[in-house]
Amino acid sequence: MARLSVDGVTKVFEEKGKEPHVVLENLRFDIEEGQFISLLGPSGCGKTTLLTMMGGFQAPTSGKILLDGVPVEGPSSERGYVFQNYALFPWMTVEKNVAYGMKFSSMSAKEKQEKLKRLIEIAHLQGHEKKYPIQLSGGMQQRAAVARALAGQPKVLLLDEPLGAVDFQMRELMQNELEHMVREAKITVVMVTHDVSESVFLSDRVIVLSSNKGRVVADVPIDLPRPRDRSSEEFDKYVFKLTNLVRRAFQERTDTTF
Amino acid sequence: MENHERSIRLPDNGNKVKAMQQKLLGVAVIAIIFVAWFIAARIISKPLVLPDFVETMQQFFKGWVDSRTMSNLGITLKRVLTGSAYAVLVGTVIGLLMGYSTKVMMAVSPIVNSIRQIPIMAWVPLSIIWFGLGEGPTVFLIFMSAVFPLIINTVSGVTGIDPNYINAARSMGAGTVAIYRDVIIPGTLPSFLTGLRLAVGSGWMSVICAEFIATSKGFGFLMIEAQERMQTSKLYALMIMSAIVGFVIDQLIRLLEKRLTSWRFKNGKAVG
Repeated sequence: MARLSVDGVTKVFEEKGKEPHVVLENLRFDIEEGQFISLLGPSGCGKTTLLTMMGGFQAPTSGKILLDGVPVEGPSSERGYVFQNYALFPWMTVEKNVAYGMKFSSMSAKEKQEKLKRLIEIAHLQGHEKKYPIQLSGGMQQRAAVARALAGQPKVLLLDEPLGAVDFQMRELMQNELEHMVREAKITVVMVTHDVSESVFLSDRVIVLSSNKGRVVADVPIDLPRPRDRSSEEFDKYVFKLTNLVRRAFQERTDTTF
Repeated sequence: MENHERSIRLPDNGNKVKAMQQKLLGVAVIAIIFVAWFIAARIISKPLVLPDFVETMQQFFKGWVDSRTMSNLGITLKRVLTGSAYAVLVGTVIGLLMGYSTKVMMAVSPIVNSIRQIPIMAWVPLSIIWFGLGEGPTVFLIFMSAVFPLIINTVSGVTGIDPNYINAARSMGAGTVAIYRDVIIPGTLPSFLTGLRLAVGSGWMSVICAEFIATSKGFGFLMIEAQERMQTSKLYALMIMSAIVGFVIDQLIRLLEKRLTSWRFKNGKAVG
């Protein structure tokens, strides 16, 4: 059985006095355990909407999202979520932020303490435990947010453009760190991104969604050994191929609406 | 990394020097006004209108050691504290509920927004009818002037919280109580403290007005007394004192603000 299934999901936004806007229509795919999946597509293709439905922050208009066969209803600690702006609580120290991820779990205090120590290590945040988010660099904030999402031992990790706000020079560095952290945690990941090379670098599989009702344009397994070499020819081939697919995904909308 | 931090600190030192200069400028302006007063009083020589500067200063320094003045100041401060405490209690609860629930907002906001338009002095006659003379009306007036800034700032604090903080908490298993305790209340705190500053400030201003009329004790009463006895220099001294007390209260709340919300300041020392 798939870990996470998108089972005929349709999402329609209705606004008074406006045509109903179909963002996603009858979307269907499965994600196997331990895979790193990227949802790639032009902006407005509904990829973030899909991710928030996986997070349980909004419900599909019809269809279901299943985690281990059980329909997702509302947010839960089974699904760790990293927001685009990280949403670290600014009033809590790094340590308290990360610990909050397991605050409501059944672990004993001692287990929590040990886990916290390990997460801080994985996220390379030793020495910064008592700092507040505002005192951290963007990279440290990202690692703290991932550590917090991993703390509750979720079955899947959902990442909403986790590097969207980061400048180009930092991006590659942070991609390395992100890969390191999720590899260590051996967890299923779904990441929304519009950065093609980022998706090739991190994913086992890239799903390209179209602007036209979020149709799956392509489902591309990335068959490269890790850690990936961004300068290799094969890497470039994937980037080239996916760039073309995204372009097509964008044109689908232009074809149908104009 | 080190370079990065240094580049943040450097302009901050520059700012400190600049802030110092600005403070000195403020003090200089006060000194100029005092000198002008000193000269003008000598020229005009109508002590009932503009008392002698030196005499006023004598009254001023005497005021801080005079037991009657101090005990009346104590009475006034106690009233401010009591009225503000009630306002915090009521204002915070109403503000949190209004900010969190659209229904409560819809239900309460017309009445809140119309009552707060009533000038505070317009409550004086009614407060005397309701509470008689003495503590009652003064505390009530402080409450009325303090409660609205608290409500408004608490509401804007709650509605200003990034919804992703709430979503994040929910995705980590937090329930409604935990969301209030861990997200909404700490997230509202900065705005609430701004409200508190405004509230206590306007409480301090209105208490003195209330004491003109509704009581025979307190700092405002001393002012009326000085006026009636034609001790203009004492009146001036009391006014300067009330400005200083108000300033100190404001600074204390700012200090509290910095301590409680140190997480907002990049170079502030992390507490806890």
